[in-house]
Amino acid sequence: MSYKFQFRDVLAQQDAIFDGLLMTLQLTAGTISLGFVIGLLVASVLVYAKPWAKTMARVYVEVIRNTPLIVQLFLIFFGLPSLGLKLDVVTASLIALTVNLGAYTAEIVRAGFESIAKSQIEAGISLGLSGPQVFRHVVLIPALKNVYPSLTSQYVLMMLATSVVSQISAADLFHAGSIIQSRTFRDFEVYTVVAALYLALSLFMRGGFSVCYRLLFRRP
Amino acid sequence: MSFVELKSVVKRYGQHTVLQDVSLKVERGEIIAIIGRSGSGKSTLLRCINGLEPVQAGEVWVDGVAVHDPASDMRALRAHVGIVFQSFNLFPHLTVERNITLGPTIVKGVSKSDAAKLARDALRKVGLEEKIGAFADQLSGGQQQRVAIARSLAMAPNIMLFDEITSALDPELVGEVLLVLEAMARDGMTMLLVTHEMNFARRVAHRVVFMNQGRVWEQGPSSEFFAAPKTEELKSFLSSVLH
Amino acid sequence: MMRELSGLDLAYLILAMRWTVLLTLLALVGGSTIGLLVAAAGASRQAPLRHLARAYVGVVQGIPLLAWLFIFYFGLAILGYNLPPWVAATVGYSVYAGAFLGEIWRGALVSIPKTQWEAALSIGLNYAEQLLHVIIPQAVRVAIPPTVGFIVQLIKNTSLAAVIGFVELTREGQLTTAATFQPFAVYLIVATLYFCLCYPLTRYSRQLEGRLRVIR
Repeated sequence: MSYKFQFRDVLAQQDAIFDGLLMTLQLTAGTISLGFVIGLLVASVLVYAKPWAKTMARVYVEVIRNTPLIVQLFLIFFGLPSLGLKLDVVTASLIALTVNLGAYTAEIVRAGFESIAKSQIEAGISLGLSGPQVFRHVVLIPALKNVYPSLTSQYVLMMLATSVVSQISAADLFHAGSIIQSRTFRDFEVYTVVAALYLALSLFMRGGFSVCYRLLFRRP
Repeated sequence: MSFVELKSVVKRYGQHTVLQDVSLKVERGEIIAIIGRSGSGKSTLLRCINGLEPVQAGEVWVDGVAVHDPASDMRALRAHVGIVFQSFNLFPHLTVERNITLGPTIVKGVSKSDAAKLARDALRKVGLEEKIGAFADQLSGGQQQRVAIARSLAMAPNIMLFDEITSALDPELVGEVLLVLEAMARDGMTMLLVTHEMNFARRVAHRVVFMNQGRVWEQGPSSEFFAAPKTEELKSFLSSVLH
Repeated sequence: MMRELSGLDLAYLILAMRWTVLLTLLALVGGSTIGLLVAAAGASRQAPLRHLARAYVGVVQGIPLLAWLFIFYFGLAILGYNLPPWVAATVGYSVYAGAFLGEIWRGALVSIPKTQWEAALSIGLNYAEQLLHVIIPQAVRVAIPPTVGFIVQLIKNTSLAAVIGFVELTREGQLTTAATFQPFAVYLIVATLYFCLCYPLTRYSRQLEGRLRVIR
């Protein structure tokens, strides 16, 4: 068996790699920002709203968390047009990823809210803090601090999961792999390089989140 | 040689020296209470005796076995040295009976039926025979601690070590545990107790040892120890504790 | 040639679920084997083993599952093996699951308080006996809820095997869509079928977690 690994050909395709990387980063950033907001809102509904709203939020979370992301993506990109809503690949990707991350974020943040002991809230009220103030200082910030590891882990997983948008031909890093594949015919090397880039990205993200933790939550 | 002998023991955790040149002798049948502030090294002292903590210098001899020597057969020794911990440390996934029979069946090769009998006898001594099939989370703190004592007793130890065994208990549950200890004392068991229960120490212990800054600061017969402390540190400790 | 979406399509979709379940089971077997080794190494007293386990988990978890599938799919082809997609899929999923399961199980092992080890040591048990009689029984109880939770992830993840041509539920959905031009209906059915597989397990894992907390 003689096969010569040719990584140089793959590494020469810097333009495709760079464009794909950029798209992945943009999708990730967009998804995390929007997903966080959605997750926070839904978590608040899950814990504090009226029963009917809680049920709706619960249905959203359970449906998303118990179905695969790729199916959700296909439903939005291929399915919605037949209902009259045509979307381009990037918009469809963003919507699918955000809706998906929102559900996972909601569940994590909900657990965070519920982990704050009632005695803490009672202490806050006894000190004369108003409802919103108690929520912000006694519940929200300590809860986010507690679930920060789970949440950021989920974000890194989501960055890796964005690779699925390649299947609707969105030009992300993974899709760049198939482009390079068609140019160089170096299947194995291509995906090894792509994998290494994702690994680098995930390490970078983890490091970045570590730094953020210190900036956000450490006392000066 | 005494039954338990510590010779110039030094114990360090990283840069921090917990025991500095500690020497102590315990004879068979003696009941020793060890008191002192937190951080004085009293728990560490106890844990060095059954080899839970290795020592950096000095010697620890128990019943002729060199505990400080890694080559010693600790398994055989541990079958004769019972220890009861502050947080009981019962095995939550096993019944009371299995907690007690685990040691005898595995370490001593006792048969299941003999071990069951051992368990019943041990539980009778601590007054909890009827709880033989219960799990730890179904028992109160005082009951769990008594089961922990029974677990050690079932191994037929020559010496019992108690590491602040009543500190984690609600006040009303302390008495039932101390009663068990008094019965053991009457039976002639060699006992070392790290404790805050000063009245108990005064009543039951033969000798009291005061640990301070990692050293044996003062020791003496319990009759004189509390009434006439010799060192300043012991005086101030006693006055802060016996208010 | 377009045809109407019919009951027959629904039947084929439901039947395709068996491949999803099969792939999940294969991944579990392979993943558990690797996971046990990773957990044992990760919780061991030898530092080099711990580092090795951490490296394995870190690398596998830092690369998208799609990439692993493609690497094994193309990599195995290079080695001269002309294997069907399910082999590459099984290997890829086993490697992937092995890292996640290994991490869950390692976490369970080290969550058992040091005091349990000490109590077992103090009644004379050696390292192996401590593990066998005291530590592992407790670790298993702790590990079950997150393991069941991961099985749900695994079921969803098998949907990606469609991309390397393995015909499970999602691929069957793609094929049905191509034949009937009814993507919305088809993928809605596919999603519902996945939900039927996953939701009961999710509920079960939550029940287990609740029961565990009561015991503690």
